[in-house]
Amino acid sequence: MRTNVDSDTDQSGTNEGVKAMETSEWLEETNKMHIHRADMNKLIMNYLVMEGFKEAAEKFSIEANIKPPMDLDQLDERIRIRTAIQNGQFQEAMRMVTALHPEILDDNSQLYFHLQQQVLIELIREGRVEEAVVYAQDHLAERGQRDPSILNELERTLALLAFDQPDTSPFGDLLHPSHRQKQVASELNAAILRAQNQEETTPLLAELLKLLLWAQDELNKKKVQYPYMTDLIKGQIEERK
Amino acid sequence: MGVAVLARRDVEHSRVYIDQLYSNDSQKCFQAVSELKFAVIGSVREKGSIIEQGVVVRLLQILRAPELDILLKTEVATVLNSLAKGLPEHAAALVQAGLLPVLWEQLESCPSGGSGSAYTQMLLCCLRSIYRQGCAPPPPAWDQKLLSSLIQHGYHPPSNQECVANILAHACKTNEQQQQLVDAGGADLVACLLCSPVSRVQLPALHCLTAMCFNNERVSSIIATKSYGGKAVPDLLVGLMARDRPRDMQLAAATALTFLHRAGALSADDPRIIYKTLQCLVRMCRRDREVWERVEAANTLAYLTEVSTDLQRTAAMTDHLIHTMNDYLKDTTPPNASVPQGISVSPVSCRQYDNPSTWPELMVGAALKVYASLGANDEDIRQRVIKTDVLMNTIVTSLSAASPPVQLAAVRCLHSLSRSVHTLRTTLQDHVVWRPLMTVLKTSNNEELVTVSSSTLCNLLLEFSPSKEQILDQGAVEFLCGLTRRPHPGLRLNAVWALMNMAFQAEHRVKVSILHHLGTDQIFRLLSDTDVHILMKTLGLLRNLLSTKGHIDQIMQCHGKEIMQAIILILEGEHSAEVKEQALCILANIADGDIAKSAIMSNEDVLKKLMNYMVIPNVKLQIAATFCISNLIWNVEEGAAERQNKLREMGVYKLLQNLMTTTDTGLFDKVKTALQQFH
Repeated sequence: MRTNVDSDTDQSGTNEGVKAMETSEWLEETNKMHIHRADMNKLIMNYLVMEGFKEAAEKFSIEANIKPPMDLDQLDERIRIRTAIQNGQFQEAMRMVTALHPEILDDNSQLYFHLQQQVLIELIREGRVEEAVVYAQDHLAERGQRDPSILNELERTLALLAFDQPDTSPFGDLLHPSHRQKQVASELNAAILRAQNQEETTPLLAELLKLLLWAQDELNKKKVQYPYMTDLIKGQIEERK
Repeated sequence: MGVAVLARRDVEHSRVYIDQLYSNDSQKCFQAVSELKFAVIGSVREKGSIIEQGVVVRLLQILRAPELDILLKTEVATVLNSLAKGLPEHAAALVQAGLLPVLWEQLESCPSGGSGSAYTQMLLCCLRSIYRQGCAPPPPAWDQKLLSSLIQHGYHPPSNQECVANILAHACKTNEQQQQLVDAGGADLVACLLCSPVSRVQLPALHCLTAMCFNNERVSSIIATKSYGGKAVPDLLVGLMARDRPRDMQLAAATALTFLHRAGALSADDPRIIYKTLQCLVRMCRRDREVWERVEAANTLAYLTEVSTDLQRTAAMTDHLIHTMNDYLKDTTPPNASVPQGISVSPVSCRQYDNPSTWPELMVGAALKVYASLGANDEDIRQRVIKTDVLMNTIVTSLSAASPPVQLAAVRCLHSLSRSVHTLRTTLQDHVVWRPLMTVLKTSNNEELVTVSSSTLCNLLLEFSPSKEQILDQGAVEFLCGLTRRPHPGLRLNAVWALMNMAFQAEHRVKVSILHHLGTDQIFRLLSDTDVHILMKTLGLLRNLLSTKGHIDQIMQCHGKEIMQAIILILEGEHSAEVKEQALCILANIADGDIAKSAIMSNEDVLKKLMNYMVIPNVKLQIAATFCISNLIWNVEEGAAERQNKLREMGVYKLLQNLMTTTDTGLFDKVKTALQQFH
């Protein structure tokens, strides 16, 4: 057991400005690390299953001779729902989710808000202003009342109605389809996985990358010099100055 | 691409599907229920509207009808589950409409072991949602059969497990229920659930375990010895407290271990308590944690360290705890705060975080409780606590302005601090704490609050406390005498004790005031009290009153007859030696008074009793009796010769001579002194 000393000042690390090691040495050490192929395959399979790439998972399962972590038919419902969202059919997606897992939308009001927000954005994008107002009144108003953190987002969305050309307005970013839809799709995907009693709701690969980014961030804060990965996708390393 | 919008304000449309609910055509009915389901899920307003329209009755009717399709019933149960997840008043309305008996009845009729049944699942979900709202009235005891079948459902699959664990966690409130739950196999179920790979199951299982153990020695000892998969439950709990677990899970596991310790199943020096649980809780009090976490952890920590000095000492030196608690007293919560969604706080305290404006007060209350526990026994810790910035000011403000739970925390803290003589003489003078304390005593209806306050006041009234005079001016005497008449024995005791302290080396006017307000009748009543501690303190009070020659004479002059009666009452009654010793000491004091001596000398009965006590085989009683005699015959005083003659005639001199053979040095000295007085 560590002996606890009751002092007023914390003993913080004094690593400021320390140089970790030369880049070449670093790369040499890194290359010595051995990662098992089996682990790599599991990570890939995990990603495919989480994100709902059923065909790819089936093929990969045969090629890499690895058993999928669950019955791949279970992916079907998540795939259907994700497809609906990608096609902008939010109401359809909501009904599907409710039919399969009736508790999700009651238990995740933030998620439900994001879905409804997307419906609203679609209406605004199509210029159906009156319907948009009615929809906002019917569904979103009460949510904004109960949850002050949602109110801000709601106000931004409704502000779009004030502009003739909403996509050039200060809140135009809300109308950009890809980012928002992907966010909501992932959110919903995660909620469904939770409802299916899965412990992990995001792919482990994503967690690994987050860990790498966080570690680099921490080292940067302490001003340590080390070989720094600038491009995650290409794995490009630069000397950090 | 067009987006179809369901305009819910379309009255025609909604009326149609609600009307169709009452249809006899099961197809139409099913469709209507489905529409209803889509309407209420996620919308608090719709839930309220549906309930207001009285639809619930029809839904219950459908559940009850034996001939109706199970798919329809499942859909209805889904709707009811969603309604139950609304506001607390929605859940309450459902309970009022008679939902619970219907659900239990339906559950019973489901084949057990039909684990895949969607209907069973929905029924359990519904029960769980109602119980989580905390509005289900707790039955005095559970129906044995119902409990057994519920527990059976809890073994498989995971969604049922989660529901059953939550139902039990929220419903288990009384001692009897705890016993029943254990007897019906609840402990085995919980042990199994703790080992589930699904965290959604583990967390309610922890809450269930906590609910079972709380304050229950028998249940706790049973649970502590249960194991699953080769691991004992306490070890499983330690695993769930690890840092890689979600915060709410760590907290729940730490609380479970705390309750097991307090109920006597795990000792304070068990490494799992002193080296794991305590640290986990202290860690969760840190500044970088969320408010709900810090409050829960601090409250649990206060409860954990309430009794054991070892735990108090360890806690006081863990991770700057005393300093961390100080932060609690100064904390301000940002305006947009809320408990993150998905966090499951314990069943007992989940509602108290609904309103963020109460959070600063919750923090203050929690910190005061921790200080109260830490400072309960150890003087060093107390001194460190007292040095805490803003503490005394917080205590004083909380005593007068805060809500009852925080008032109680403040008094508890003050009580711990008042156990320190040094503090009484210094800090507790600089901050006039007795004034708000007296106000609390006079105005509060809360029994616990008044008891702890009176105990604190008692400490403040000890001889070496400079605030004594000021307290007296506030009508404390009259108030305390009034407290001695209260039905609660704790209060009576504290009141008499306080009066006893007050009377110690007090001025004559104080003693007179006490006797005046208390009255000899009340003294008699207190001397006949069933609680022996109260009796002892009353005797102590009399003894303190009857000290200092002048006072003794004056008091005996006014109340001599009643006091002698009281003493005889004690000496003749069935009491322990300790009690009788006190009575004899009082006599000895009376024998010290110049005029008062006659009260004893003129009473042959008492003199005979004294002689009896001199020869009784109990050294302490012998010493007390001899001392009394010694005072009576003290030859410096007027009339000593006559008194000595009388006593010699009665045979006292001879008795004393016989006692010279005693082996006890204390008695020997007393006897020798007495003999020397005789001419």
